Amino acid sequence: MSRFLVERDGKTHFRPMKGLELTAGQVVLTLLGIVALFAVPDITSATALSFSIIHQGILFGLAAVGLNLLLRHTELVSFGHAAFFGAGAYGVAVLSSHYEVSSGFLLLLGAIAVATVLALVIGYLVAGYLDIYFALLTLAFNQVLFAFVLQSGYFNYNDGLSVRVGGDRPSLLGIDQWLVATLGTDPITAYNYTLYYLTVVILLVMLVVTWKIVNSPFGRALDAIGQDRTRAQFIGIPVDRYVWIAFTLSGIYGGIAGGLFALLQLHVRPEPVLFVFVSGEILFMAILGGIGTLVGPIIGGIVLIYLLRLARFYVEYYHALTGIVLLLVVFVLPKGMLGTLPEISAGLDRRRQDPTLLRDDVTTIGASIRERLYRAVSTVRIIIFGVK
Amino acid sequence: MVESLVAHTLNGLYYGLILFMIASGMTIIFGVLGILNLAHGELYALGAFLVFSIVGFLTGLVAEPTGHFTAIIFAVVVLLGSLAAAAVLLPVGATLEAIFVRPIYEREDVYQLLLTYALLLIFIDVMKFGWGTSPVNTTVYSTLNEVPTTELVGFSYPSYNIIVILVGTVVFAWLVWFFDRTKTGRIVRATAINREMSTAIGVSTDRTFTLVFAMGAFFAGFGGAMASIGPGPAFLEMGLDPLVLSFVIIVIGGLGSLKGAFVAAILVGVISRWTVGVFNLPQLELAAPFILMAIILLLKPEGLYGTWGEIE
Repeated sequence: MSRFLVERDGKTHFRPMKGLELTAGQVVLTLLGIVALFAVPDITSATALSFSIIHQGILFGLAAVGLNLLLRHTELVSFGHAAFFGAGAYGVAVLSSHYEVSSGFLLLLGAIAVATVLALVIGYLVAGYLDIYFALLTLAFNQVLFAFVLQSGYFNYNDGLSVRVGGDRPSLLGIDQWLVATLGTDPITAYNYTLYYLTVVILLVMLVVTWKIVNSPFGRALDAIGQDRTRAQFIGIPVDRYVWIAFTLSGIYGGIAGGLFALLQLHVRPEPVLFVFVSGEILFMAILGGIGTLVGPIIGGIVLIYLLRLARFYVEYYHALTGIVLLLVVFVLPKGMLGTLPEISAGLDRRRQDPTLLRDDVTTIGASIRERLYRAVSTVRIIIFGVK
Repeated sequence: MVESLVAHTLNGLYYGLILFMIASGMTIIFGVLGILNLAHGELYALGAFLVFSIVGFLTGLVAEPTGHFTAIIFAVVVLLGSLAAAAVLLPVGATLEAIFVRPIYEREDVYQLLLTYALLLIFIDVMKFGWGTSPVNTTVYSTLNEVPTTELVGFSYPSYNIIVILVGTVVFAWLVWFFDRTKTGRIVRATAINREMSTAIGVSTDRTFTLVFAMGAFFAGFGGAMASIGPGPAFLEMGLDPLVLSFVIIVIGGLGSLKGAFVAAILVGVISRWTVGVFNLPQLELAAPFILMAIILLLKPEGLYGTWGEIE
């Protein structure tokens, strides 16, 4: 056995680093996923899919991965994650428009710094709260920030700030200029593609980091906190401080995503990055993709952003379309799109081996519909005629 | 100075009581069912659109008011129209609860949010289908102002606002009476406090929940109706801000507490008007309710009248 291969349960597992073991199938899926991520610009140029929307979806998905860290492990529902997304985006915008910073790297560092400070402050205040109080308190801070930015001249009110310095795009480590100079690429294309590949690299790094955090003793402690706070306290976990750290970490994801979003859009307005419904969307992306999975939030991000931003060009009633997709997820895919996949494939497998199961399915569905109709009729009868 | 203070306070009361009508529905739904209904703002908007059609039809039947007395008749017709519009939301709410909300009581909280968000999106398009994308206005506001109210005590203030303040107070009084004195109200409270026990003594929790959801929808719609007969039009996105503000109100007041929602709504309404008019801080207008909420949550997490699942 080499350093990267281990034998477990009679199967060969691939081990890229300590603790992370993948079966052959998982390796293939991971590689496919990475290849797909890198091939997105080519796929979108060949098909009708929108490159910029997928890029945005990945960025929101990255914020959702951060939120999922909190949601999945400490079981805290944050309804204010747009605060960090917006803080990152505004960090970039303020640095470039007020201080004329043009290096994309420095801008992104600024975004991370702003989001971290904000997450530290908010996290300190909310770490002791639970359930709905936690959700509504984070929502309150999010909305205070939104209202403050919307009505402050420093942030240029509702019109927002531009990310360009003197009309130029920020430089992305010099890669985009190099592309323009040597290959003669169109500057806009060079900028967008470089930014996309930077995003993909950052995303992959963040996913590995997330995986590391989740499987560290710290991650286990978060799980314990999510299951039962009192018990976690008894076994010696400093609950409030750990929640505070987890909150800050998940805020940093939002800050990075927001900073990249500002670099992509080149203009930051309060509504698309800070409004409380953006917080909701980030939360729903995590649920849509599957809370129990690592990359689910990314898939959820791409799907939801696609539906919210682009469906309007195909159907008139695009809100309803998004709503119906979400309803289907709630009722048909209870663990999210990615989380339910194993169950669906197992079910299909069983039915392929034993086709008689299909007949049972049909009778079950028929019986449940009949029962619901009967109950609905009797409820209506009781409402109209009373119990007798 | 005193006159402007009174005017700003009345504006705050008017705004607060509109918010109370929305938040009251949300707080009873949350208090009894444990569901944080994100689609609540859209029920409010639906009420506003319905009132445009229904009141528009009804006011076509009565003559233009010529004097004070006819103006009062006109106002009564408008109020009845608002009630009729809100009544449409009773079956809507009941259907929503029975079909969509009932299967997810047992699931994790986040699915309630996702489900009600999906309903919110669908409702926006239902209204787009029904009334189009451009704002609609009932244009009864100026006629309602012909009803004499504040002229009787010697200063002029829109009568419509006074009517809303009175109606909001009546709604609060009715809700308190309903939950405190009627048998159905007591059954609802019993179900909220202990579901298993009330099932054991023969209460159908399904039916109670449907009733409560329908009631919540009714008051959201009634709030929308009262707002829509005012100076502003009904438009598709009108549900979002009241939704977020009613979160603030039910948190300040204490989740599930009716009295708390009333006090908090008035606090939020008056404070947000005072920040602009009295303290002269227009840049804090939007943030004020949320700052208030954050302070209350940090000092007294259960809210002013915090009761879990009980309606007081």
